[in-house]
Amino acid sequence: MGRLLLWVGVVLVLLTTLILLLKWKIETMAERYRLPSGQLPSAKGMLMFLLPLPVLFAAITSLARGQLLNLLGDAAGYGLFLGGALLLRRGLLLAVDYDRRRVAKAPLPFKTLGCGVIALATGVTAWLGAGQNPLVAVAFGLAALLGCYLSYGFDPRTAKRFTDRDGVDVTDRVLEALTQAENSIAAIEQASRDIRNTELNNRLRRITALARQILKLLEEDPRDLRRARKFLNVYLDGAKQVVEGYAKTHARVSTPELEDNFRRVLSTIEDVFQEQQQKLLETDVTDLDVQIEVLATQLKREGVV
Amino acid sequence: MPDFLRKLIGLLLIFATVGVASCQALVASCSSSSASAPTVLTPRG
Repeated sequence: MGRLLLWVGVVLVLLTTLILLLKWKIETMAERYRLPSGQLPSAKGMLMFLLPLPVLFAAITSLARGQLLNLLGDAAGYGLFLGGALLLRRGLLLAVDYDRRRVAKAPLPFKTLGCGVIALATGVTAWLGAGQNPLVAVAFGLAALLGCYLSYGFDPRTAKRFTDRDGVDVTDRVLEALTQAENSIAAIEQASRDIRNTELNNRLRRITALARQILKLLEEDPRDLRRARKFLNVYLDGAKQVVEGYAKTHARVSTPELEDNFRRVLSTIEDVFQEQQQKLLETDVTDLDVQIEVLATQLKREGVV
Repeated sequence: MPDFLRKLIGLLLIFATVGVASCQALVASCSSSSASAPTVLTPRG
């Protein structure tokens, strides 16, 4: 039995090393196939869902054989593992979102909490499920906590603050504007569910997708917020009111004129949103042009070029 | 510590703790019944 466990351990070590080496090699070779920043690789954090699966089978076996104590231990262990994995996955998503944004509050400590719950689950499983000595079970838990920390890290604790040109901290204002905009988009999506027209629904889907792209640009560079104020305060809010109003009225009265008017308004909104997105992208290009020009002039002045 | 090495050690620790504890729990649940059944069924004395 001891020899078997040793061999299993050696195979696991070799497999892990091989997987990590392959992953590193693929990432280095296929840089262009990397996910854009802000997108969570689908497999990230999934290991913690798969690795405790034997505990679930152990619980099922205990249930089938009528071993109440084993069943309780295994069920508690697996429940904790599942809860920890869900918390960890949520924490990883929040951390990716935090990394993507230039202005962000420190995320809630889901990752740290998840690591703690997984460590507790490991200890409980080793003690009640596997029948280890409580001290050995504590050691299992601590080692699992260290492993989670080294592999996933803990949550960022500081907020990413943003100051405008006058040196005033506008972090809260920026975050409030972005949250409001996100709520408006969600309200449009919610109202569009009540509209039973494929063509209008497709238009609304395109509009919300455009609005999200604009928000993403604003999240990445909050300096653009000043330029996009009209979009946030007038267009997006107006679009929300119109769509909500149409969804309510459409359920009671449906006339061709109303539908045509709504279609025309949606078309205008789509054009305005596209224009806004284009403006933001052009501003980025202009900013870059100015930076390149400044650098080139400086290099010329210093005689480097 | 390089990022690659940190993650490798982390993963190994996770496999060594979560993986081993889970497998031990499964082995225990499979083997304890065969050991416990006779003790329950065997008449005393």
